[in-house]
Amino acid sequence: MARRGRILRYFGYAVLAGFAAFLAFAFYLDLRVTGEFEGRRFSLPARIYARPIELHAGTRVPQAEVEAELRALGYAVGEREQPGWFLKDQNSLEISLRPFIFWDGAQPARRLRVTFEPVGVKSVTSEGKDVPLARLEPLPIGGIYPAGNEDRVLVRLGEVPRHLVMELIAVEDRNFFSHAGFDPRALARAAVRSATGRTEGGSTITQQLVKNFFLTPERTIKRKFTELVMAVLLEMHYGKEEILETYLNEIYLGQDRDRAIHGVGLAAQFYFGKEVRHLNVAESALLIAMVKGPAVYDPRRHSTRALDRRNLVLHEAKEQGYLTLEQYSAARAMPLGVAPKPETGTTPYPAFVQLVQRQLRRDYDDKDLRSEGLRIFTALDPRVQNAAEHALATRLAQFDKDRRFGPPGMEGAVVVADPQSGEIQALVSGRDPRYRGFNRAVDAARPVGSLLKPVVYLTALQEPAKYTLVTPIDDGPFVWKSRGAPDWEPQNYDKKFHGMVPLRTALAQSYNAATARLGTDIGVEKVLDNVRRLGIERPLKPFAATLLGAVELSPLEVAQMYQTMASGGFKTPLRAIREVTTQEGRPLARYALRVEQAIATEPAYLITAAMQGVVREGTAQGLKSMLAPETNVAGKTGTTDDQRDAWFAGFTGDRLAVVWVGYDDNRAAKLSGAASALPVWGDLMAALQPEPLALQKPDNIETVLIDPQSGLRADMSCPGALELPFAGGSAPAGRAPCASELGVTVQEVKQKARSWLDRLFGR
Amino acid sequence: MRTLAFLLSLFLYSCATRDEAPSTPAAPPPLPETPTARETVAIAGLMESARGDAAAGRLVQAAGTLERALRIEPRNPRLWHELAKVRLRQGDEAQAANLAARSNSLAGSDSALRAANQAIIEQARTTR
Repeated sequence: MARRGRILRYFGYAVLAGFAAFLAFAFYLDLRVTGEFEGRRFSLPARIYARPIELHAGTRVPQAEVEAELRALGYAVGEREQPGWFLKDQNSLEISLRPFIFWDGAQPARRLRVTFEPVGVKSVTSEGKDVPLARLEPLPIGGIYPAGNEDRVLVRLGEVPRHLVMELIAVEDRNFFSHAGFDPRALARAAVRSATGRTEGGSTITQQLVKNFFLTPERTIKRKFTELVMAVLLEMHYGKEEILETYLNEIYLGQDRDRAIHGVGLAAQFYFGKEVRHLNVAESALLIAMVKGPAVYDPRRHSTRALDRRNLVLHEAKEQGYLTLEQYSAARAMPLGVAPKPETGTTPYPAFVQLVQRQLRRDYDDKDLRSEGLRIFTALDPRVQNAAEHALATRLAQFDKDRRFGPPGMEGAVVVADPQSGEIQALVSGRDPRYRGFNRAVDAARPVGSLLKPVVYLTALQEPAKYTLVTPIDDGPFVWKSRGAPDWEPQNYDKKFHGMVPLRTALAQSYNAATARLGTDIGVEKVLDNVRRLGIERPLKPFAATLLGAVELSPLEVAQMYQTMASGGFKTPLRAIREVTTQEGRPLARYALRVEQAIATEPAYLITAAMQGVVREGTAQGLKSMLAPETNVAGKTGTTDDQRDAWFAGFTGDRLAVVWVGYDDNRAAKLSGAASALPVWGDLMAALQPEPLALQKPDNIETVLIDPQSGLRADMSCPGALELPFAGGSAPAGRAPCASELGVTVQEVKQKARSWLDRLFGR
Repeated sequence: MRTLAFLLSLFLYSCATRDEAPSTPAAPPPLPETPTARETVAIAGLMESARGDAAAGRLVQAAGTLERALRIEPRNPRLWHELAKVRLRQGDEAQAANLAARSNSLAGSDSALRAANQAIIEQARTTR
């Protein structure tokens, strides 16, 4: 008797303990539900935007480019009810712009009429009035995503059409508005059906949400039980509408390469190029059809299956009285209506986005970047980027065919920047620009060869009393002795020595012996000091061989060095990012334009003129056949030992670009900079209608007509005479033998012509 | 009439040099005249809004607008000058001086602008 009582007592204890354990478990789950549901909400990726196209009379962008940009933005061709379309004509575009929040304020939806002439925009008007300046919305080019590369665009329940919600409820959880988190009738129905061989989830919307939000996808009894308890708890704490809204934002609806499409907001854009509030009955039904399995019912891959399932959704909605017979029949008759969309994954420009991310990580927590929905406005110009990718890929393919070295093929990298603002417009990290791997443009440090030579000559030209563009430099055999190191005897590319040559020719022809002699005469330290001033931060070895480019730099670093020279001696740190705002558009940070006068304007002007000589009469003459002569490109070729690395760095009036070509495994490419990197550079620039390079002449620079033979003052009777710039009275005083004693200078002739014309026209 | 005279003189000059000297001009050609009158409308608008922002103390906004203008006309010395003024007001004397020097390097014969830039450089020097 006593024994039985004891058993009963123990049993009672056990029940109590079990109940206590359940309470504790429920309490723990409750904490999780409230804590996480409230606190976590959704992680929103940071969104990265390209530069917006600025439209004003005079914008140098052809009509086809504006059209391409509008298409990439998802604008429809032909008039629509909602903004986001354009009409095209022979020489004009009628654009219905969508509203957009820029970093400096909101731009409302508006109609624009843009007329074009061959070079670019002729006029911009809106409702008959002139518009001085208008921006297109910038193209999204990627994001910084949360774990699993989840992407979503949050929507409020009020923005979601009622028919979408009803279709969801009809198929996924018909008792949603009456149950308490779980639905015994649905469970029973599911049990019966699975017993008869048909699998069907009896999960409510709330349970599905709990499963996606808090739990792992394993299918165990314990997990099912936890899910059920949490669903009930969720229903206790939150209203049906809040749960529904969260569900609509959470639900997984497709895959774009490595990017996961979540929520109806993003899915509406991804499949239909529309905002969710504009989805019709049939389109909504397709999204709901995909809830069951976005891969299985992918309308782009399995259109028949998707159509069948969509029609099933429509049928259920009609059966349950959510759709009228007319609505049902009309929707059923509609095609899938999915917009074609090139798959871009997380970004079509991984190299650029990687650079953006690196610059952002200096200022932001990685967690914030992946969850706060920041908006990042960058300088990337898709037109320049595409031209750079195309130029590199096309030429590399051709080199591979010509070389026949076998795989892996040649590689390359391109950096394009605006020399004045230092903004990076394009970054190509290899022949496959979609490959997300080694970023050659930023991380590959390769010997730069002759790309460093301009700095040697720049350093010389800083002493106008000693060196001018016509100062004779000795290109005879040169030996550099230093203690503890073998003698250094640089050879020329053509294996010849050229005797005394003018300074500008030594650079134009890239003579090694002359450059080594000049550099060691001025002092290696002095040259390296200038390299640092121009923007190279990594330590360089103070060896004489450094002068000839025994230095490893990335294409991005080279671009920085040339940017300083290209902007008249003003260093502007290269930047990829312009502004960062919060999700709502509140500005957080601007990455301001900063300049620093690193080199005086006079030597910067002189070295630019000398680098124009490289293209006009030196190693980069190949460009002449690719670009109009008045473009006046300044640049320098670079080739390293055994032709392992080929470079070209140069600039026009509006763009600076650096191209590197070579093999990753350091094989000898047997191609010079002029034969490989230069054509890539030329193709790229030719595609972008470059502005001519026209530098403002500093005050104390005079241009003098020079006889190339003697390096002395020439006049009109000297054959091949050149106008060359000289700093502060450093021009040669003597007259060349070819110049007559009484000869007049070009300036004098110009003066005369001008005063004659003035008189003629009575100015 | 003036434009015609200018074009004609350009034409005559180009003929003249070709006839009189078989030379290739090595010096970078001079800065082209201010682009088109229309293009300056866009810049004028931005400059005005930047001035308005600066006057109202919205200096970050003003600098951003000037940078936007500089992307359109990077060789307009007045824009660099305006940006220098904004930086000076923001207390960034080093940048102000550098930007004023940048403006000077593009100012050509605009002596009033040069004087104004010089004043910024002086002021930056004394404040620092």
